[in-house]
Amino acid sequence: MVNVRLDNVVKVFDKVIAADHITLTIKHGEFFTFLGPSGCGKTTTLRIIAGLEYPDEGRIYFDEEDVTEYPPYMRDTGMVFQNYALWPHMTVFDNIAYGLKIRRLPMNEIKERVYRVLDLVKLRGLENRYPTQLSGGQQQRVALARALIVKPKVLLLDEPLSNLDAKLRIEMREEIKRLQRELGITTIYVTHDQEEAMVISDRVAIMRQGRIMQIGHPREVYKRPANLFVASFMGRCTILKGIVRRSGEITELSVDGVKILGVPSATDMNIREGSLAVAILRPEEFELVKPHTPSNEFEGVVEWSAFTGPYTQLRVKVSDKIKILLDIDPDSQIKVGSTIKCYIPYSDTIILPFEEGREITYMEES
Amino acid sequence: MNIQNILRKLRRELDWLTIVQLAISLSIIFIFLILPVFLLVVNSFYSGGTITFKWFERVLTSREYVSLEPLGGALFKIERTGAGVLLFIMEGYDYGIILNSILVALFVTIFASIIGLISALIIARYEFPGKNIFRILILVPLLATPFVNAFVVGKVLGRQGVLNFILRDILGLPYTFIVGGLVGIVIIQTLSFFPIIYLNMLSSLINIDPSMEEQAENLGARGFTLFRTITFPLSLPGLAAGATIVFIFSLEDLGAPIALKGAFADDLAGRVISYRIYQNIISTQGGILKIDPTTYALSVIMLLFAAIGFIAIKKYVSLKTYAMLSKGGRWSPRVRKLSWKGLILVYMFLVPVVIIASFPQAGVVLLAVTDWATSGAFPSTTTMKNLMALVEEPDIVRAIGNSLTYSAAAVFVIVLVGTSTAYVVARKRLPGIDILDIIVTIPIAVPGIIVAVGYFILFSQGIFSGTPFDIFENPGLLLIFSYTVRRLPFTARAVFAGLQQTHVSLEEASLSLGASRVQTFARIVIPLIAANIIGGGILSFVYCMSEVSTSITLASFRPEQGPITHYMSSIIGGGKVGVISYAASLGVLLMTAQIISMAVSNWILKQRVAFLGV
Repeated sequence: MVNVRLDNVVKVFDKVIAADHITLTIKHGEFFTFLGPSGCGKTTTLRIIAGLEYPDEGRIYFDEEDVTEYPPYMRDTGMVFQNYALWPHMTVFDNIAYGLKIRRLPMNEIKERVYRVLDLVKLRGLENRYPTQLSGGQQQRVALARALIVKPKVLLLDEPLSNLDAKLRIEMREEIKRLQRELGITTIYVTHDQEEAMVISDRVAIMRQGRIMQIGHPREVYKRPANLFVASFMGRCTILKGIVRRSGEITELSVDGVKILGVPSATDMNIREGSLAVAILRPEEFELVKPHTPSNEFEGVVEWSAFTGPYTQLRVKVSDKIKILLDIDPDSQIKVGSTIKCYIPYSDTIILPFEEGREITYMEES
Repeated sequence: MNIQNILRKLRRELDWLTIVQLAISLSIIFIFLILPVFLLVVNSFYSGGTITFKWFERVLTSREYVSLEPLGGALFKIERTGAGVLLFIMEGYDYGIILNSILVALFVTIFASIIGLISALIIARYEFPGKNIFRILILVPLLATPFVNAFVVGKVLGRQGVLNFILRDILGLPYTFIVGGLVGIVIIQTLSFFPIIYLNMLSSLINIDPSMEEQAENLGARGFTLFRTITFPLSLPGLAAGATIVFIFSLEDLGAPIALKGAFADDLAGRVISYRIYQNIISTQGGILKIDPTTYALSVIMLLFAAIGFIAIKKYVSLKTYAMLSKGGRWSPRVRKLSWKGLILVYMFLVPVVIIASFPQAGVVLLAVTDWATSGAFPSTTTMKNLMALVEEPDIVRAIGNSLTYSAAAVFVIVLVGTSTAYVVARKRLPGIDILDIIVTIPIAVPGIIVAVGYFILFSQGIFSGTPFDIFENPGLLLIFSYTVRRLPFTARAVFAGLQQTHVSLEEASLSLGASRVQTFARIVIPLIAANIIGGGILSFVYCMSEVSTSITLASFRPEQGPITHYMSSIIGGGKVGVISYAASLGVLLMTAQIISMAVSNWILKQRVAFLGV
C-alpha cells in the first residue's frame, strides 16, 4: 500500500496533449477515479502510473520512491485492462498464477494463493477452463484475480466494466468496491461513466483535454462543481447565462430579463457585479409545489415531456431564451402545452463564472 | 523534443531483447542484401579507380541492348518452305536486350491482368456449378516447376512440337506453327503469373463492403456502370499490387529463357536482360572474378525498373487503402446465380483458361511418369524409372539433400530474423522503425539475379577469399543467406499479421505483473503467434526449395554443392534431352512439397494466405 504522487506530469502524442501538467496525490488505501470523456487523457495517465507510457516531463512517486524511469515490471502494480487481456493460451489457473511463477514462488504456495484468490472472486471450480470458455463477467473476475494475487502496491483499473452489460456492470462495481475495502489496497480507476465514478470512488478527478478540472469527493464535485465543464459533465442540467446584478453569498443573475438567485460554487470565484455568469439548474432539484426555503420561481409552457420510468422529464419554455429541464413525479398527468409553475431553492441553484469560448446552449442534456 | 528526451526514450525502448533482435536482423540484412546490392551499384559507376558513366553509356547506346529498329525476328510471319509447307512463325521483334525485357514484362503484365481480373470477377461475384473445382485449378500455375514447365510449352508449341505433329502427321495439313522467342516467353510467363493477379484481385473484391455497391445500386447504377464507377476503383489497389509483382517477376525470370534457349536452341528467347546477366556470370572462369562490367550496368537498370514499380505501388496502395474503410452492417457477399446464357459465357472463358494454364504442370507430371521426353509427340509407355531416380541417381539425391539442408537452415534464420523484425516493427516505438519495415519488404523488389551479382562482387575477393563465404569454394553458406533475405518477407509478413491480431495489452499485462521483456516474449508473445511463425516458416521453406536465380548462379562453380533447381537448369539449359525426365521428376517433387505445405500452413493459419501480396 503506497501513496501515489504525480508531479507536473506532461505527455504529448503527436500534437494531442494527453496529460497537461498533472499534479496530484493519491492517498494510500484510497479509491481514486479519473473521470472524463473519451480522449481526455485519463487512460494515458493511468498507463503512465503503470509504466506502460513514459511522461515527457514530470515525475511519478510511489511513497517517496521516484519510479518515473522504472519499467512496468519493476513497479509492482496490478493492472486490469479494458479488454481484460487474458492470455488465450493459458487456463484460468495459469493466467492467475503467472505473476507468482514469474516471482519463482514454490508451487505449493502458488496453488494455495491461487485457490484463495479464486475464492475471493468467486471463481472456484473454473480454474481449468480457458478464457474463451468464460462469460464476460467471469473473464473480468479472472483479470481482477490475476492483478490482485501478486499483492500489488497499487491496483490499476482501466475502464474494467465498459465491456459488460448494464446489469452486470452494477453488480461488478459493488464487487470491486467490496474487494478494495477488504484488501485496503490503493486503487486507481478510470471511467467515462459519471454515475459509476460517484458510486465507487472515495475521490474523483475530472479530466478534460489532459487537464485536471477538479478533484474531490463525488458529492462535492456534483454539488459544488469548479467550472462549467464539471457541472455539465456530472449529470444533466440546464445552463442559463446572464449578467450579475448583485454578488455575494446569494448572487443575483439577470437572464433574459428574468431574475435568478443562487449560490456561487466556491467563494473565491470571479463573480462581480456586471460580469457574465451562468446558473446551473439540476432537473431533480425542481419542485412543482412552492417549498418553504427561499426559491426561484418559473412559469412556462410544457413543450415536451417523456416518461422514463422513475421520473418524467419535462421541458418548460419560460421565455424565448429560457428553457428548463426538470424531473417530476412519473404519476403526475401534466400535458404538453399546459402552463405550469416550478421552483428551485436558491441553495440548489449553482452560480459559476462564464467561460469565454464555451458555447452556451440554454439547456444541456447529457 | 530535445536530445535528452530522445536519449531517454531510446534507453527505455532499447532493452536487451530489442538490441539483440535488431543487431542480428540488421547485420544479416545488411551483409547479405544491402551491401552486395550497394557494391553492385558502386561498381556500375566505377572503372580503374575513377567514377564513370561509360558502362551505362555502352549499354544504352549499343544496338545490341537498345534498338528502336527491330534487329530481326517478327511478331507474325508466314513463309513457304521448299516442300510447299506454310510456316507460321511467331517469335516477336528483337528490339535489343533491354527493350525486349521491358516489352516482354509489359505484355505479360497486361495479359496476366486481363485474365486474372476476369477470372477474379467471375469467382468473386457468381455462383455456378463446378466453381470450387475452378477455384483450385486456377491456382495450379502457382506450383513452381522451374524450367520444366517452360520446356513443356516449348514441346507443345515448338517446331517439332505436339501441335505441329497433329497438324502435319495426323491431319496431313501443310502448315507448321513455330511459336517461340519472346512470344514464347510471354506465353509461358503469362500462364505462370496470372494467378498472382487473380489472387490479389479476388481478395480486393471480397473485401469490398457490399453496402458500397448496394448504395450505388440504390442510387441507380447497375451493370457495367456499377463496375466502372464503384467496384473497379475500389479493387484497383489489389490489381495494381498484383500487376507490379508480375512485372518484377517477369523481368527477373530465368526459367523461360534458359529452357527455351537451352532445350530448343531458341536464340531470341535468350535476348533478355536476366538471361544476359546470368550468362555473363556463369561464363566467368573460376578463381578470379572476370565479369564484364556492362553486366553491372545492366543489373542496375533492371533493379531500377523493379524499384520504380515497387515504390510506385507502395505509395499508391497506402494512398488507396480505403476499400476496407467501412465495416458495418450486413456483410452478405454479393454472389449471384447465373442465367444459362451467362453460364455458357463463364464456361467458355474459364474452361480454356484452366486447361491452358495447367497444361504445363500436367505436362511436367507426364514427363516424369512416361517416356514423353524422348518418344516424340506423344508418350508411348509409362515408367517409374524417372521417379525412382529421385532416390537412386546419386547426383539427384545429393541435390535434394543440398536443397533440404540449405532450405532448412535458411528457414531457421528466416524465422529468427522474420519474427524479430516483425516484433520490433509492430511493437517498438523507435524513431526510424518504418525504415526497418520497408527493408524487410524490399527483397520482393530485388531480383534474385541482382542479389547473385552482388554476391559475386562481395564474396569473390578480399577478406572473404578462402573463408566459408568464398563464392568459388563454398556456395552453400551463401545460398542459405540468399534464401534467407529473399524469402524473409513471407515469414515476416505472416508474423506481423499475427501480431496485429494480438492485442498489445496481452503483453502489457505480463509486464505489469513483473515479467521482464524477455520473459514476456518467451511466455506470451511466442505462444500467441506460434501458428503464424510455423505457417510462415513452412511457406518460406517451399519458396526456398524452388528458388531459382541465386541457386543456379551461385552454385555454378561448385555443381556438386548445387540445389535441385541448379540441377534442373543444368539439364534443361544444357539441352540434355535424354535426362530431362529427371528434371520433371524433381518438378513433381517440388509440386508435391508445395501442395502439402500450402495445405498445412493454410490449416495452421486458418486462413488463406494472400501470398505474394505487397
